Amino acid sequence: MASRASSKGKGKAARGSNEQSTARSVKKWSTWAMKKAKVITHYGFIPLIIIIGMNSEPKPQLSQLLSPV
Amino acid sequence: MGSSVSHAAASPPSIPPPPPHAVGLAGVLPPKSEEKSEKKVDWLNLPCPVPFEEIQREALMSLKPELFEGLRFDFTKGLNQKFSLSHSVFMGSMEVPSQSSDTIKVPTAHYEFGANFLDPKLMLVGRVLTDGRLNARVKCDLSDNLTLKINAQLTNEPHYSQGMFNFDYKGKDYRSQFQIGNNAFYGANYIQSVSPHLSLGSEVFWLGHQRKSGVGFAARYDTDKMVATGQVASTGIVALSYVQKVSEKVSLASDFMYNLMTRDVTSSFGYDYILRQCRLRGKIDSAGCVAAYLEERLNMGVNFILSAEINHPKKDYKFGFGMTVGE
Repeated sequence: MASRASSKGKGKAARGSNEQSTARSVKKWSTWAMKKAKVITHYGFIPLIIIIGMNSEPKPQLSQLLSPV
Repeated sequence: MGSSVSHAAASPPSIPPPPPHAVGLAGVLPPKSEEKSEKKVDWLNLPCPVPFEEIQREALMSLKPELFEGLRFDFTKGLNQKFSLSHSVFMGSMEVPSQSSDTIKVPTAHYEFGANFLDPKLMLVGRVLTDGRLNARVKCDLSDNLTLKINAQLTNEPHYSQGMFNFDYKGKDYRSQFQIGNNAFYGANYIQSVSPHLSLGSEVFWLGHQRKSGVGFAARYDTDKMVATGQVASTGIVALSYVQKVSEKVSLASDFMYNLMTRDVTSSFGYDYILRQCRLRGKIDSAGCVAAYLEERLNMGVNFILSAEINHPKKDYKFGFGMTVGE
């Protein structure tokens, strides 16, 4: 009985640490995803606006994008 | 306000015409019976209130223009009805917040490139500076009543970036908003029209990392001629403002803020002249600060800007000039 109690205790501890490690890994992955999203947004936001704008009607010319007039 | 205007247009004029040879003042003054006729309040059709963060917008527009020091040049080039690029140069001093009472000014110069895409359903505004900072604003209409707004300032330095997501829901006579920000900031606010002129709102926020939370209440009373607002927050701030539209071109605004924790009182009084060729805003503060901001339209699309701020107790004088080309 003592061995059963101790094995039960060890099982619960293992399950508890398992839940803790899944929570920790979820947190690690979400932090990694937020970091990547921040870098992508930082470099890609203005090109995204330019691409959406150049494809809207009426389509502007590429020369209009670069010339100062 | 929309419902009362439509009621006035719909009700037929019920006055007898004035006698052909009216005597004295009666012939000069317009007949007054339209104003005296009773406008029944339709309690089920109240107008939609202004968004909670814009509850003091008339006072902020008049009392807090974008004062700057140095040279500013903005050029906006439209390629399309919806798409435009902007180039902006700034050379001058920017204030750095410091612990002591002295103001620390750092001379800065930067060039800012921006792209705007404005659609009725989607608005994208991005600005990038020479030091790598990005200001991004996105406003997207997910449905007729639901709007998503994203506001972000991203920097190259770690841990200095900020972002905020706002979900706005607009109902028939109420608006509600839910905010999620970085550093585990959560906020929500709600504003409801209770009469054609009065709207009441409240907000609640929670800062995750510092475990701080706060509640605030706001009220706004507006008519065609004036707007009065009051705001109280559990952070100990009481803010009142009053704007009177004296005429089509002139409006006067005043503002009062009291901090219960630090027992700080700030009050300011200002004017806003919107004339055909220029817009002049001036204000005077209880901290001894006098400021003025002039935007003069020289030509179609060309604006000349002058900004001045004189802080007498701190002996801090800031003068700026600039030009804006393009819409």
